[in-house]
Amino acid sequence: MIRVVAIVLRVVLGAVFLYAAWTKLSQPWALFAMSIDAYGLLPEWGVLFVARTLPWAELSIGLLLLTGWWLRWTSLIAATLLGVFFVIMLVSWSKGMGIDCGCFGVGEALTWKTLVRDGGLLSTAIGLCVMAFASSRLLRRVT
Amino acid sequence: MAAVKMEVFSDFQCPACKNLHDQTLHLVRSQYADKGKVLMIHRDFPLPIHSFARPAALYSVAASRLGKWDVVADALFKNQDSWSKTGSIEALISPLFTPAEAKKLKALTASPEILAELEADIRRGTEVRLKQTPTMVFTHKGKQHSAPGLVTFPIVSKFIDQLLAS
Repeated sequence: MIRVVAIVLRVVLGAVFLYAAWTKLSQPWALFAMSIDAYGLLPEWGVLFVARTLPWAELSIGLLLLTGWWLRWTSLIAATLLGVFFVIMLVSWSKGMGIDCGCFGVGEALTWKTLVRDGGLLSTAIGLCVMAFASSRLLRRVT
Repeated sequence: MAAVKMEVFSDFQCPACKNLHDQTLHLVRSQYADKGKVLMIHRDFPLPIHSFARPAALYSVAASRLGKWDVVADALFKNQDSWSKTGSIEALISPLFTPAEAKKLKALTASPEILAELEADIRRGTEVRLKQTPTMVFTHKGKQHSAPGLVTFPIVSKFIDQLLAS
């Protein structure tokens, strides 16, 4: 049962990461840079670095989650990344910043609904991470 | 004709709009619009939560008819803190014009044409599914890209350069 749950979690999470990467990579990268910059947290070089690398990181995490390779570390990285996103979004939302979430490309306002969704994804990633570390044998790649 | 159209949806009472105007838009104008690379269009989108944003927007539209939009927009943003509390927009704007112009400006703010122009800006905002101000909407080769919030000039510049190079 745990094995089935873990497979479902990693496939869902992997698909979400792949979709997030695709929405960003299918648009001009500087458009995503503007979404990041609107959070007002990073200097120019940081904004440009994240805009260039994050979509590829999301793509890699998505593929690794789908295949199940290095699941413990991939789920840990996914949970950390989602945790960082969640905190940044929560702080920005509580400040009343009228900005885009930037989660799945552009055009999605940062609202409480975004926070609920991101919180759900974070919980999923934490759950998967706990299962992966508790019983790595159960979560090996499906063959 | 400019290759990129940039519509800026703004509310004169919104602090982020003031920051975008002061920190980013002046530079976009001098480095891109004045050189014919970008067509910049200011669109008024007064939010209902801001009591004096609509009259301020009417003054902005009316001032553009007299060729003094820049002067009025700069004054409104520069003194945002004061008129946002009192609503004394006329007292702020009138000294920027000659008495004859000021009279004409006041009459324009009450004219149906100016109201219709403001409504057209708001309709355009609804059409592009505007969710917040400020929002920059770029149109290039028939594609639209929205960028809400305060974005700094170096990053906006990177995006415009990317569009111009494509």
